[in-house]
Amino acid sequence: MLWYRSWLDTRWRFLIGFALLLFSACGTVVAYVELGNLLSTLDTPAIEGSGTLGAAIGEAIEEAIELQRTYRGFVWSQWFDKNLTFLGTFFAALLGSGSPFSGAGRGLLFSLALPVSRGRWLGARAGTGLAELLVLAVIPSLAIPLLSPLIGEHYSVGDAVVHGAYLFVVAAMFFSLALLLSTVFNDVWRPLLLTCLVAMGLSLGELALRADGLFTLMSAEAYFRGGSLPWVGLLISVALTAALLYAAAAQVARRDF
Amino acid sequence: MAEPIIIETADLRKRYDGVEALAGLSFAVPRGSICGLLGRNGAGKTTTIKVLLGMARPTSGKASVFGLAADGRETSVDIRRRTAFVSEEKDLYDTMTVGEIVRFTARFYPHWRRDLEEEYLSKFELPADASIKKLSRGMRTKLALLLALCSGAELLILDEPTSGLDPAATEEVLKALVSHVARQEMTVFLSSHQIAEVDQVADRVVIIDRGRTLVHGALDDLRGSYRRLRLVFDGAAPELNVRAPGIVNVRRQGRVLTMLASEGVDRIIEEARALKPASVDVLPVTLKEIFLETVASEDEHALV
Repeated sequence: MLWYRSWLDTRWRFLIGFALLLFSACGTVVAYVELGNLLSTLDTPAIEGSGTLGAAIGEAIEEAIELQRTYRGFVWSQWFDKNLTFLGTFFAALLGSGSPFSGAGRGLLFSLALPVSRGRWLGARAGTGLAELLVLAVIPSLAIPLLSPLIGEHYSVGDAVVHGAYLFVVAAMFFSLALLLSTVFNDVWRPLLLTCLVAMGLSLGELALRADGLFTLMSAEAYFRGGSLPWVGLLISVALTAALLYAAAAQVARRDF
Repeated sequence: MAEPIIIETADLRKRYDGVEALAGLSFAVPRGSICGLLGRNGAGKTTTIKVLLGMARPTSGKASVFGLAADGRETSVDIRRRTAFVSEEKDLYDTMTVGEIVRFTARFYPHWRRDLEEEYLSKFELPADASIKKLSRGMRTKLALLLALCSGAELLILDEPTSGLDPAATEEVLKALVSHVARQEMTVFLSSHQIAEVDQVADRVVIIDRGRTLVHGALDDLRGSYRRLRLVFDGAAPELNVRAPGIVNVRRQGRVLTMLASEGVDRIIEEARALKPASVDVLPVTLKEIFLETVASEDEHALV
């Protein structure tokens, strides 16, 4: 029953996220038809920039165009590396915002008076949110291999599952951070805003340093390019998620209401 | 044989951000009683209840329910399994319907009373498919009371149960409560600042102010031991030591000296006669008078 209560709390956020991601995944498949027509009329332009930065930008543009020439590259760059990463991070933060003990007027004292430990409440909330996040990460991605034959293309179900799973594992960190912040703040919005700010900071840092980081891991770029699975990054993500959830449980256990 | 103690606090203290909400609260509630916790707004009633239910941890002192420590993680869950609670806000889950919250709550209580559930749903005219969000304040109170009464709990804790209700709804809720307690063996701990409400339903009372216990005991004992003494003098009434044992407060008005005595009335009368009053009247007092004057006396002591 605790799961049901958590589901009632988060169902609209989940359903809106699911609809948006599904729409976005379907849109990616449809967009390839239009892009394919456009690319077939173009030769790869030689882009040369001046200076180090200019050269880097030129390389990036060339690479982006190259990626669009194959269906697998297009799907990865448009869906797994951009839309899913962006929307997945946002909805992870949104699903994690608001613990069972956030805010008066939502049955807070009623919940606290039931013969259930705070840890079990938080566990049910975390479990429900993570299950919803897993669905958001994997199911819309599976729409791509399902719809691809309609445009005469093929996309591997295995690839969709691997990319979705990577997004889930890394986005779970943002979910856990939002949940931890929700045990400190009494509203939904501050944890959401702070988590999004952290995610934006990390993303900008990755771009500025041109280094592999959380978002590279989230898009499973290593798997896309070389077929290898970055187990270390995965394990670090799981450990960080566990640590954040533990901190949330400890914070809730010592809190006065 | 004395009934076992269900709720006990000893020198209970709770400090929130530098504010002492409870400042050495001590009282006991025996099994089977209906105990009213009386106090002004901000006296510490809700904090006391939160400590008993494990929602807030005491800073120091002892709080136990059923002999179990209220601040233990495991024992607190055990206490709540045997205790039903109705909060002042009646903040139930607005996303559920009446039927859903009844089914949801029933799962947590091993002795849930299905028979009473049907009885109270019908008696309180609560439609199972009604959204909680759309219920009136009175209907929410009835639903909260239904959930508490059907839980099969041994202890019922109510925090300002009739807060925000009109007189008719208040009467209906109190009648349902008294009728339930008359049929089921349970202890009730009821916080309120409505003295008439406590007077109507309780057989014991704990009066608190500024987080401290001022008076506690059986209502009949309090009514038996508290007396108002009215001394009328021929001339101006003399000064009297207000700190004398048993004297809660003293009022001088012209030729009349009025005292509220909590104990040792005969001794106080003897001492008063030494002042040579023209007449001495001994009058019974109501719970309202006991409450108002002990709290006023506390205010005077706080100013001294």
